[in-house]
Amino acid sequence: MENAMSKTMNKLSENVLDKFSMDFLRNQVLKNAYGNTDTVIAKLDPRILLVWYVFFALVPWFVNNVPFLLGCFILVLITTALARVAGLVLFVFALGVFSQTGYLFVVSLLFGGDASTVLPLLILTLKVATVSLASITVFSGLDPDRLSNGLLWFGVPERLSFSISYAYRMLPMLMEEFQNVLLSYKLRGNPPSHDTLMGKIRYLIYQVKVIMQSFYPLMLNTAKRARTTVEALELRGYRNAASNKEVRKIMLSSLRVQYSDFMFIAISVLWVALSALVSTLI
Amino acid sequence: MSADVNGGATQSQKLMIFVLSMSLYGLATLFTELIPSFQVGVVEFSVEFFLFIPLTLAMLFDPLPVALGAATGELVFSEIMLGQFGGLGELEKFLTVAIAVYIAGTVVKNPKNMAVVGTAAFFGTALQLAMSALVDILKVQFAVEDFEAVAGLPESVFATEGFAFANDLLFSGILFCLLPTLFLVPKLHGKIEPLLGMQPRTPENAPSGAAIKLMLVAIIGFVGAVAFALVSEAGMSLIEWEADWVESGTAIAVGVIVAAIIAIVVLAVMMKKSNKKDLA
Amino acid sequence: MNTVEIEDLSFTYPGASQPTLLNVTFTIEKGDFLAIVGNNGCGKSTLCKVINGLIPHFIVGDMQGNVRVCDMDTRTSDVGTLAQKVGYVYQDFENQIVRPTVLDDASYACLNFAFKDYEERGRRALALCGLEGLDDEYVWQLSGGQTHLLALAGAVSLQPDVIILDEPIAQLDPKHADAIYEVLKDLNENHGKTIVVIEHHTEYIADYCKHVLLLKDGTVRWKLPAHEALRRVEELEASDIFPPQVTQAAHRFKVTGSLAHVETLPTTVGEGKAAFASLKRDTHGNDANQMTDTPAVDGEASRGNTSDAASSSAAPAEPESESDAPDALASSAAPEDASNMPSVPAVEFNDVTLGYRSVKGDRHVVLDHFDLSINEGEKIALIGSNGAGKSTIMKLMVGLLKPAAGTVSLFGSPIGNKKAEEISRQISLVYQNPEEMFIKDSIENDISFAMRVRDVPQWEEKTAQLLERFRLTDLRNRDGRLMSGGQMRRASLAIGIALNPSILLLDEPTANLDIATRREIMAVLDDMKDIIKTAVIATHDMQLVCQWAERIIVLCGGKVVADGTREEVFGDKRLAQLVGIRPPEIFTMARALDDDARCFTVDEFVSGFKEA
Repeated sequence: MENAMSKTMNKLSENVLDKFSMDFLRNQVLKNAYGNTDTVIAKLDPRILLVWYVFFALVPWFVNNVPFLLGCFILVLITTALARVAGLVLFVFALGVFSQTGYLFVVSLLFGGDASTVLPLLILTLKVATVSLASITVFSGLDPDRLSNGLLWFGVPERLSFSISYAYRMLPMLMEEFQNVLLSYKLRGNPPSHDTLMGKIRYLIYQVKVIMQSFYPLMLNTAKRARTTVEALELRGYRNAASNKEVRKIMLSSLRVQYSDFMFIAISVLWVALSALVSTLI
Repeated sequence: MSADVNGGATQSQKLMIFVLSMSLYGLATLFTELIPSFQVGVVEFSVEFFLFIPLTLAMLFDPLPVALGAATGELVFSEIMLGQFGGLGELEKFLTVAIAVYIAGTVVKNPKNMAVVGTAAFFGTALQLAMSALVDILKVQFAVEDFEAVAGLPESVFATEGFAFANDLLFSGILFCLLPTLFLVPKLHGKIEPLLGMQPRTPENAPSGAAIKLMLVAIIGFVGAVAFALVSEAGMSLIEWEADWVESGTAIAVGVIVAAIIAIVVLAVMMKKSNKKDLA
Repeated sequence: MNTVEIEDLSFTYPGASQPTLLNVTFTIEKGDFLAIVGNNGCGKSTLCKVINGLIPHFIVGDMQGNVRVCDMDTRTSDVGTLAQKVGYVYQDFENQIVRPTVLDDASYACLNFAFKDYEERGRRALALCGLEGLDDEYVWQLSGGQTHLLALAGAVSLQPDVIILDEPIAQLDPKHADAIYEVLKDLNENHGKTIVVIEHHTEYIADYCKHVLLLKDGTVRWKLPAHEALRRVEELEASDIFPPQVTQAAHRFKVTGSLAHVETLPTTVGEGKAAFASLKRDTHGNDANQMTDTPAVDGEASRGNTSDAASSSAAPAEPESESDAPDALASSAAPEDASNMPSVPAVEFNDVTLGYRSVKGDRHVVLDHFDLSINEGEKIALIGSNGAGKSTIMKLMVGLLKPAAGTVSLFGSPIGNKKAEEISRQISLVYQNPEEMFIKDSIENDISFAMRVRDVPQWEEKTAQLLERFRLTDLRNRDGRLMSGGQMRRASLAIGIALNPSILLLDEPTANLDIATRREIMAVLDDMKDIIKTAVIATHDMQLVCQWAERIIVLCGGKVVADGTREEVFGDKRLAQLVGIRPPEIFTMARALDDDARCFTVDEFVSGFKEA
């Protein structure tokens, strides 16, 4: 028990600061956004993909037929592979699916659940997985600018589509700044030794405290940045764009529906219909 | 050129606050998404580690852009960037975070009054957690067929959610929201505002909004979120009822094909509308 | 015709007791290239924000007087229209870039103002700023100089009549700085743009600007043609502006009664040649000066053979003049000291390779089989263009980066085996951006933090001593970020030496500072020589290099291309060509008069040359 606990604590404390490489994270996120612009998925029209996504985000919730759900799941699995999504994103996906449903099963066992509990939970997992993979295909497969153009077309507020591309612009800068502040703590701070279990707990608390405290300098530094950014945005006509219909039209004029988009939809429909058919035959 | 009357800021200052809140909370939630280990035993701690960021900012600046910025930041950085956009769940998160932050920020008239700052931070977190726990329960109910009939499931859902709520409140509310907010607000007050060209908040220029009005907004928002979830549930049972009525797999397949055809029709209309030139 | 007309302008920020600008009246002619000079906090940036309409449209405050830009009253004009007439490049320019790719950002403003040909305009702006071919590059992969050019391209894309730049070259190496000014010159001369720069570097003003406006305490002292303005040495110095070194030198000669025939002070090396034509090098005085002033002696010991090999292989152009020069005596006099060399180097890079992966997956190698050793007691300057690997080397030394291959050792043992605690006692890094050093809410807490958490005995007294030494006692309760540039630097240095490390690393300690503050920092560095044994400075500031460093390491593309004393490094013209480093102006001046001269400071020049 003691051993298992200390192992968990070990994992915990290592996860937070030591093994957690900001560079790795940044690379994965940026790679996910811009590193796969030449895939089949990335070349599709964002509007088509968004409609496609809405279908797979909603339908699984209303259907309880396993073969059909499995069919949908396989389809989104294939599209996710086609989108060449970064490893980190898949990892977060797996984590999310487990944390949403895996632990429920364990708890329901405690409350007198049995094998009959497994099936509904399995179905639930399948639903969650399908919806998540569909969202990964669309939101990770598309490059952010095409995605925000697509959203803009559907009338999503301009502020959000601006936020998306600005977030990608800011991310490397913010992370570097955060990293530097953390490094200041690392170089100048004096973390408690973490050889014993108590030490590890103290170390973990120390790390959490450092992260919290590092937001004090981070907030001030980011405030300075935000000021320049917003002034520059005013000078560069951001507000003009928000109120000018013409700008929207120009922005959206780059969107084109092509034959590949039809093909994509046709194949998806075919696949879904086939799964439905199979499900009726079983 | 509406100067600082009633804590109001100019449009560009609001944009600065929005950008600040979005960047910081967004970055923070990006990390949260990657910290799996706080799942001790069977209970998952969906701790809002970084809710103190928008809470602090909302107590120092105009709460509305802070609330919207934080919610947008989470949506963009942790949901869209990592491709974890679930749809309904994220909208619920957007609403609950925005409402909680806005209310907590508006309650504080004088950031120097630590008692009010602490209370607002704690109850802001509690509000957010309560709202999302409720929606969570409804979500599971809605997704699992014959929720009540599955042995042990309802109890386990209620127990887990209840336990998680209590735990999260303890962790989020005290450790990760109350303490950091109490640490940050007095340190930042009077320092961060001039960086954005604003006056620090004092009781005289604090954001207006009577408590009653606030509660009203909160209740409407919350009821809205609940109603949203309930309507979805009703929609589900409707379809289930139809499915029972047909009681045949073929009908489901036909139904799906019909849905697909509808989608195709929508697509066709959409394409026609957007680029005729291309098809010609 | 006047592009900008300002009449009796006063501006007070909300809550400020004093007006930032007071009764400012002046005009800028169309096609002018104007430099605005003045000490920190004299209202230069505020003045520029008045011209582009940010004041009064976005920054609230009390504004009196009239401002007309391109025949529009800024008070009544729409900011969108004004923005298309006046482009603005901020000092913290990286924050004004809001899009992820280059072309996207360059054309962003044009898109926002609904120009159908926005991409074409963006592309044209990129071409004007020398960024062709980088259209699809991601902005975070650009070098500092390129990022600055991109910010400029974003402003140019709207084809404004006036372009304002706030300290455009503060963080750039000479090559990139030249590139920026050449672009500005082209815009000014061939495209009819009016250029306004806020600038501390008077050498660039002398070379490129047409007029200079001196701002002091929010009022305009004068606006004069550039060369005339730069000759007002005393007035400029009273405002913390230091005229070109050539002008300073000439002024010093005049004060002592020499050069009576020179009526106007020279402002460039070209003018200096004529003005100083009567000067002859005083070989005796110069030698004496060199011998006492050159700190090269102990630095020499450690360089060993590698540096000789490096400099001789890089400098076949003029080995004769090099060894014949009497000054070279200083550098060749020392090798005997080699016997005193400590057996273990303070820092040693052994076959270090480091790279990173870009978004598309290609590898970029920053350091490739890199070797370097630094001995205890050396004062080293690390120079090279932006992106040559200076910061990377520093981060490796403190263990913030881990090499992909090879080892970095501190005092003989690999850094990977050391605990952070041990490293921090041996070595300390002062970041380029001091704001990132401030993690507490007052500089007193920041300075004491490392000592307090380590329970250093008497940390209270030590903190008080450091505050006193860096003249920060009165400011001790202030947050570092809210102080002036010079105070911030001083505070960051105090934080850096709080733990009394044996090695101190400084990344660009004088970037972004006005000359007075820079002098102050140099004085502090000099003052610190006795407490810090070994120090390494990465910098573009050649005046700092010449005054302070004993050993200069020149990096290019992740390799050491030269390693030696200032005489060796700056004496080698081929090397300057290769890596884009440039000696101080006074050094070039002296060599223009006498090819054997090696003057690194104005003092050396004035004492080294006498009227024949």
